[in-house]
Amino acid sequence: MSNKLSSSVPTDREVVLGILNNSEDALNRLYIGYFPMVLQFILNNNGDEDDAKDVYQEAIIVLYNKIKGGNFELSSKLKTYIYSVCRRIWLKKLSQASKKTNNISDFEDVIAVEVDVEYHEEKDLQFEKMGSALTNLGEPCKTIIQDFYINNLSMQEICEKFGYTNTDNAKTQKYKCLQRLKKLFFQI
Amino acid sequence: MRKDLEIEAIIEDYLGGKLTAEEKTAFEELRKNDPVIDHKVVAHQLFMDAAKQYGVIMSLKQQMDQAHAQMDVEAMVNQYKPHPSILVNFWRNNRSGVAVAASFLLLMLFTVYSYLHNTKQNGSYDLMRRELANIKSNQNKLVRSLITSNNTTTPAPRGPLSPAKFGGTGFALTTNGYICTNLHVVKDADSVYVQNGKGESFKVKVVYRDSQYDIAILKIIDNAFTPLANLPYKLKRNNVEMGENVFTLGFPKDDAVLGDGYVSSRTGHSGDTTQYQVSIPINPGNSGGPLLDNYGNIIGVITAKENQVDGAAFAIKSKYVLEALDAIPQDSLGKKVAPIKKNPLVGLKRTKQINKIQDFVYMIKVYN
Repeated sequence: MSNKLSSSVPTDREVVLGILNNSEDALNRLYIGYFPMVLQFILNNNGDEDDAKDVYQEAIIVLYNKIKGGNFELSSKLKTYIYSVCRRIWLKKLSQASKKTNNISDFEDVIAVEVDVEYHEEKDLQFEKMGSALTNLGEPCKTIIQDFYINNLSMQEICEKFGYTNTDNAKTQKYKCLQRLKKLFFQI
Repeated sequence: MRKDLEIEAIIEDYLGGKLTAEEKTAFEELRKNDPVIDHKVVAHQLFMDAAKQYGVIMSLKQQMDQAHAQMDVEAMVNQYKPHPSILVNFWRNNRSGVAVAASFLLLMLFTVYSYLHNTKQNGSYDLMRRELANIKSNQNKLVRSLITSNNTTTPAPRGPLSPAKFGGTGFALTTNGYICTNLHVVKDADSVYVQNGKGESFKVKVVYRDSQYDIAILKIIDNAFTPLANLPYKLKRNNVEMGENVFTLGFPKDDAVLGDGYVSSRTGHSGDTTQYQVSIPINPGNSGGPLLDNYGNIIGVITAKENQVDGAAFAIKSKYVLEALDAIPQDSLGKKVAPIKKNPLVGLKRTKQINKIQDFVYMIKVYN
């Protein structure tokens, strides 16, 4: 049991280096390694496995951004950090759903992560704005924008993909799309 | 429209760092002069950041979803969901707390155990009176006494018939038969006899008991007793220093035995200031024996020893014997016991000293 655990859960150092190097394997192992801990916490505090998945993914995003942000200092074990972030997020969700938040069953040590979580919430707001703006944009604009700005396709490739006769047409189309998206994004 | 598109393209290239140095300078100039363009740059920058972040998070989520799909969430849910039993839940939720409590309890048990063990080792304090009789000899004696009482022509031997149950040592305080010993020697006694070096027994009664200092004063009430010669020693009123050479005469067996040692501490058992600790070999039967220094002063009364520590015997300081003496009416003491001016033992060799004092040291025999 303990052998299996130690082989599947990467060390904290491996995780940090792996994320910095965009290693998929490190992220996978990190994700699989600590999910049971969070699942246990959520299940025992009025949540189900879907809640656990949402909360856990948010926590991983917080960790990911923090590491990518470059100002990450490992002041505690990653496990403790992830647990604390999940706990914070889940408590917030519980109080938003006006469920009782006293009498929380804890399974791990907890450290203060309020600042990180609040910073993440701001970012998350932008993320959701962008998400709903893209949804409202409609096709084919959404795909064009995603391909160009997110998937980093060249104008030439987009041109071929959407069957535009020349890149200028594509550019004009992209420009229009972008203008609409910006409008949507800054409106919301 | 056309112009806007171009500006947009330039802004994009500017933020993407794709402009040449000249174009860049030109554009920065334009941006400085035209707040509308500047605003567009800032807004575009913000938008691009958001878009980029959106992309990153989306791909991260995708990746996490893949990882999530690899897990058997169902089994985990079954493993971790709150157990219907309160007890199991309590154990799961408070595992660490229970562990801490248990280890604390263990530690406490261990501490208490080792503490008790320790105090037992340091603390056993054996009073040095001698248990003399056993049942067998008692019965033998009984048979003998029956025979003697039948045979009336044989004169009964003087003194008690059956052997004493307990024994100790005592020493004369006055010439007219006051004897000092430990209270624990004569405690619970029906009758007490003393026997001197020549083998003569005298009946005594206990005239003074001091349970605080464990001192008893006996008075010989036997008609056969003749007053002693002058006492060869005196009771020291002051404390002696550590390292003082001392000796004691006592009756751990039926004949007097000399013990030689030194004062090893100014306080006795567990820091008892009424006692000295003496490094001296003593045995059951030594209780009540006088502890003398080289100048023939009695500095204490042997009381006890610690049974697991080598050479730790305890003696009550002579000061308390003097206090006990003060409690007895002075006129009944007869010739003053009192500190004689000149000490006849001073300067004598040890053998001579013992010779002089041995007539004043008694074996105490206790019957009950």
